[in-house]
Amino acid sequence: MTRIIKDGIDRRILLAGLGAGALGTLSAPSVLRAQTRELVVGGAASHKPWVDAHVAPLFERKYNAKLTFEGTRSLVNLEKMQKNKDRPYLSVVQMDDPVMILAVREQLLEPITAAKAPNVAKLKPGTIHMDGQWANYLQPWQGIAYNTNVLKEPPASWNDAYDPKFKGRIIIPSLQNTEGLPNLFMASHLATGKPMAEAARDTESGFKKLVSLKPNLLTVYNQMPQAFSLLEQGEAHMIVGALSSFALQRRLDGAPIGLAAPKEGIFPVPSGIAVVKGGPNQDLAFAYVNELLGAEIQAKIAPPTFALPTNVDVPPPPGMPTGVAIHTIDWGFVADNRNDWVRRWDREMSM
Amino acid sequence: MSAAAASLAPTGGQKDRVAWLAVPAVGYLAIVYALPLVFLLARSVTGPEGFTLSLFVQFFSDPYSWRVIWNTLRIGLLTTLVCLVIGFPVAIAMARAKGLMQVALLVAIILPLSIGVVVKAFAWQIVLRRDGVVSQFLVGTGIWSEPQRLLFTETGLVLGAANVFLPFMILPIYSVVKLIDPRLSEAGATLGASPLYRFRRIFLPLTLPGLVSGIAFVFSMSVSMFVIPSLLIGDRFQMLATLTGRSFLLMRNEALGSTTAVVLLVLAVSIVVASSWLAKRLGGTQ
Repeated sequence: MTRIIKDGIDRRILLAGLGAGALGTLSAPSVLRAQTRELVVGGAASHKPWVDAHVAPLFERKYNAKLTFEGTRSLVNLEKMQKNKDRPYLSVVQMDDPVMILAVREQLLEPITAAKAPNVAKLKPGTIHMDGQWANYLQPWQGIAYNTNVLKEPPASWNDAYDPKFKGRIIIPSLQNTEGLPNLFMASHLATGKPMAEAARDTESGFKKLVSLKPNLLTVYNQMPQAFSLLEQGEAHMIVGALSSFALQRRLDGAPIGLAAPKEGIFPVPSGIAVVKGGPNQDLAFAYVNELLGAEIQAKIAPPTFALPTNVDVPPPPGMPTGVAIHTIDWGFVADNRNDWVRRWDREMSM
Repeated sequence: MSAAAASLAPTGGQKDRVAWLAVPAVGYLAIVYALPLVFLLARSVTGPEGFTLSLFVQFFSDPYSWRVIWNTLRIGLLTTLVCLVIGFPVAIAMARAKGLMQVALLVAIILPLSIGVVVKAFAWQIVLRRDGVVSQFLVGTGIWSEPQRLLFTETGLVLGAANVFLPFMILPIYSVVKLIDPRLSEAGATLGASPLYRFRRIFLPLTLPGLVSGIAFVFSMSVSMFVIPSLLIGDRFQMLATLTGRSFLLMRNEALGSTTAVVLLVLAVSIVVASSWLAKRLGGTQ
């Protein structure tokens, strides 16, 4: 710099130039923001590939907006909403239904109405919750994942996991994980023979039945990739309560895995979407929700996520199970009791 | 102290000024460690109506809590024992080795520290499988009649944890053994002391500060490990650290999480303080 000044450039001109440059640099984002609005969506980390591939290009082009997808866990998104309640920066969240209930209880969500997101009228029954606080845009389903090198025939029943020949070969999800809950309800159904809706309320019978599964357990997982790694290696023979979105993707990648839909039925594990109360760009937020509930996007994202669409105009993608019962879960009942169940689970399912 | 050495030693005023060098570290730790710790402690003794010890009463009244504490202590003790049994001879060998051999041993101990715990835990999953190398070796040598599972057992957890924490046992012992003059043992021998007597009465007492430090390191890390038990034994075996993590992250029960964290902290600090006291009592340099 000293050399330049010595070469004849006036210091004032240099300072003015630097000042102008700095001002330009600082103001550029504001100018850009004025032209392109940004929508920040909090969702599951595993959703990012299909959001980037199928949703973001369409949304950004259609609304001249920039979509920023923050992929993490549902509970972390809930935490973000709680901590920033006064000045929310997330506009939309995509979370599991049990976590949505917690968000509703803390009044963090803005209800979705047909006036603001018309595609809500096109949804299947049972996919709009608590007066529109949130809606389901996809329904991955849960069955039994099995190693195809070990089991030549898919498990026909959820009861197969209790067969003593599978001693130390079964993995189940923890009750902490959303996908861990159906095992409790199914165990009650297997033990009592009651219809699923009734059996799900009888968790006492469910726990008694689950305890009898202990000799067969290899482990109870918190991390899905670890469980699938053990299944693919043949150390585990079944994951009882595996998500289609993970299991079928692994199969597509060449892993020796099948996903059975047992005769007692399967469980949808709904993916919810909601607008954050007081979040920025509410009009864009509802537009995003509307797109995810619409036929165009759902037709694109259902096949790669191996999930059932919730829009009535979108047929189930190829390979989805047919002719089996699909049991829905009362997530309100779950939210009320889950901590007690986890406490009991710790005590009764421990080694 | 010689006159020359005395002239080089810092005076009282210099000592005060030298202490300022610790300010950045102290400030950093105060903000990222001490302050959160105060919040954590405060949370564990705060109820809806102010100060209370009810969270601790509730915690210690539950038999399950005692099972978790026992799990934590048992795994901590077993891991420390395995590290000690393997690490002590290695530390002596390292200290007595010369030149390239010593460098090779040091690299072999330190290099694994650069590998993440998650990677190691996943590697142990492969090693501990029914068809893993441990099971194959034990069947091949006739110790086991048929392959057995070590994965998701306490044995597997201790083996995996010992692998991760072994350097923290070896290095403190090595640093102490290296300072022991080998001629002391030779002097004992000239006085007719047997090898066992020399080890027991000369060598072992001199290594105690290193042993105590290694034990304190490994034990406090073993009782507070989170990732290793999560991956190697799973949800069915709770330790204080995993229970704390779950309380905060999944059950959103800050009260329980703070309580278990404080219990764990007290356990770990007690071990470190007791070790330090023991080392001083046994004539160490700490």
